[in-house]
Amino acid sequence: MSTAGLKRAHYKEGWIPLLLLLPQLLVLLLFFFIPALRALSQSFVITDPFGGNFQFVWFDNFRALLASPEYRSSVGVTVWFTLAQNALTIFIALVFAFATDRVVRGRGLYRTVILLPYAIAPVIAGILWAFLFNPYVGPLAFVLKGMGIAWDPNRSGVDAFLLVTLAASWKHICYDYIFLVAALMAVPPSLLEAAAVDGAGPVLRFFKIALPMIGPTIFFLVAMNFVYGFFETFAIVDAVTHGGPGGATMILVYKVYIDGFVHINLGSSAAQSVLMMIFALALTVVQFRYVERNVNYDV
Amino acid sequence: MKTTKRTLLAGLLALGVASAVASPVFAQQRTEIQFWHALSGVLGERVDEIVKRFNASQDKYTVVATNKGNYDEVMNSTIAAYRAKKAPQIVQVSERGFMSILLSGAIVPVQDLMAEKKKQIDFGDFVKPVASYYQYKGKLMSMPFNSSTPILFYNKEQFEKAGFPNGPSEIYGEFDKQLYAIKSKGIAECGTSIANDYFWSMLENYSTVNDQPWGTRSNGYDGLDTEFVYNKSRVVGQVARLQKWINDGVALIAGQGLSPEQLFTSGKCATYFASTAAHGSIERDPKIKWGATYLPHEADLTARNSSIGGATLWVIKGHKSVEYDGVADFLAFVASPDLQLWWHKVTGYVPITNKAYQMAKAEGYYKDHPTREIAILQLNRGTPTANSQGFHFGNYIQSTFALREEMEAVFANKKTPQQGLDDAVRRGNDLLRQFEKLNAGKY
Repeated sequence: MSTAGLKRAHYKEGWIPLLLLLPQLLVLLLFFFIPALRALSQSFVITDPFGGNFQFVWFDNFRALLASPEYRSSVGVTVWFTLAQNALTIFIALVFAFATDRVVRGRGLYRTVILLPYAIAPVIAGILWAFLFNPYVGPLAFVLKGMGIAWDPNRSGVDAFLLVTLAASWKHICYDYIFLVAALMAVPPSLLEAAAVDGAGPVLRFFKIALPMIGPTIFFLVAMNFVYGFFETFAIVDAVTHGGPGGATMILVYKVYIDGFVHINLGSSAAQSVLMMIFALALTVVQFRYVERNVNYDV
Repeated sequence: MKTTKRTLLAGLLALGVASAVASPVFAQQRTEIQFWHALSGVLGERVDEIVKRFNASQDKYTVVATNKGNYDEVMNSTIAAYRAKKAPQIVQVSERGFMSILLSGAIVPVQDLMAEKKKQIDFGDFVKPVASYYQYKGKLMSMPFNSSTPILFYNKEQFEKAGFPNGPSEIYGEFDKQLYAIKSKGIAECGTSIANDYFWSMLENYSTVNDQPWGTRSNGYDGLDTEFVYNKSRVVGQVARLQKWINDGVALIAGQGLSPEQLFTSGKCATYFASTAAHGSIERDPKIKWGATYLPHEADLTARNSSIGGATLWVIKGHKSVEYDGVADFLAFVASPDLQLWWHKVTGYVPITNKAYQMAKAEGYYKDHPTREIAILQLNRGTPTANSQGFHFGNYIQSTFALREEMEAVFANKKTPQQGLDDAVRRGNDLLRQFEKLNAGKY
């Protein structure tokens, strides 16, 4: 499709497009720019929670954060968590989407079951997983114990990390799945049939034809999964581990919440938000710069 | 159009006249006093009962009690409301928040208020560790409300079966052996269930009972330049003991979704270090034969008083004088011996005045409920020292959180007890310095 048609269809007067954009800009201003500016201004002060007094401290809040082993550990946890969650979610969603094509009977049921977790509130999902894997009462923990695996997410940071990652992925698989099923359906059957005639098996057809063609969708999903892992897994962490044990599941967004809303250390919390914003921006740039290069949009 | 306007105006006028006529009636209306608290469930119902009784006892004020979530949430709601100039008159704040709210500049000291409103309250009669915790420059800053202290609950049958008919030993070395015996003989699955507030019942109170310094400058009482030192005291040994118990399966951490109390009341664990306020729920549903006793102490150290936990009622400034009259009446009502006696019996919290305690004793309450007296006897044991009078640390809720995180790392064997405590102290001291900087010259 040529872009010439698009370019010609613009407004002559400057104010109509602005007017049309206004509601959205207003929402952005109220819910993004003003809070972001406030966070920025708050990150340079330390303040008494009651607002009685505050002191301008320049970059002290940032300096304290970067020097603190707890903050660095939280960054590490976040990176590993989003990566693991991303890989797991995409992989499983892809397997399910691929299989959807091959389910002959009860495809509707199959799809519904996979989509169900999306309707469950994150807190409920978190409590569900915490209970299932509780070392003393959880049925799945008993299965693990029966297999001779020492399992205790209350003590072991690795176990807790795995549990949160699983719960977060489980909740998000359906989201990826919907997009992937749609993308796979959009792959022209003629191409697949031609390949089949040439003797390519289902697996080869998937990797050589379908996968490259759904590249843009996967790229989009990777970006969305990062956003999800970064900002929306808060409720799951809160319900499953409270960021523990020993900070093993203390992802950045949860730390912002604990320091800001539970402990009312507003300066530090604001500084963390600002750093997180920078972190997220950097990640997006990297994604579009380097990952997108390998994605082919021309269908 | 014009007529509608006129009728509207006339209507408004009529309304104005009506309300002007009605206003003398309105003047006799009760003054409303907002009271935000953190007690839910059965305890919340008890609070409602107190308020109901107070409201029925006079016709000038109506106290409205609202549960705003847990202690943190109450504090956060109060801060938000204060900044929006919509704060309640009375707020319940946990003992850990003492310094933060004291120096917030948002409060009216209770003793001053009571003096100004000429309420007869014998401030010398408050149980010592309760009063000393909430005093600043010799004056009580908030009205003690729900005070507790940890005691040791134990399963009588399991201890008898293991050959300890006298129950748990008061000496840690012996107690340790008892727990291991109970576990190794298969009498109970675990020796002790770790309470959610173990940092209070098993660490801070270990420190006070054994007279160890938690921080310099008399645990912060003498100045904001206090520093934590519990990484250099016997607390290190206590943490090592807990770590060993957990590693050996002698102590269990219930974890998310399971209450530690259940592990004890179901007979899975033989003991439970918990607040005396747990009486309320343990008594209600006794599946096991249980007893309670004093917290154990080290053999080579003299046992002192334990430290309190719980919360007090703070008065927020910026309200009308007539509202403060009602606040003073309500606080006097709360502190009255009769109410304290009732509160002590129905909740398990300790009576905050000696008078209420004597009343309970006089009516023979402890003959039928001997375990109810342990807390108060333990609190009154000896004279409070600089180490056992309480904890006055700024940002203490935050540094407690840091301590818990570090302890979790120790319990997971990621850090040694010494490393974990060193890190907790380092993090806590950073928070103390921040508090000192922000409140310089105010204490």
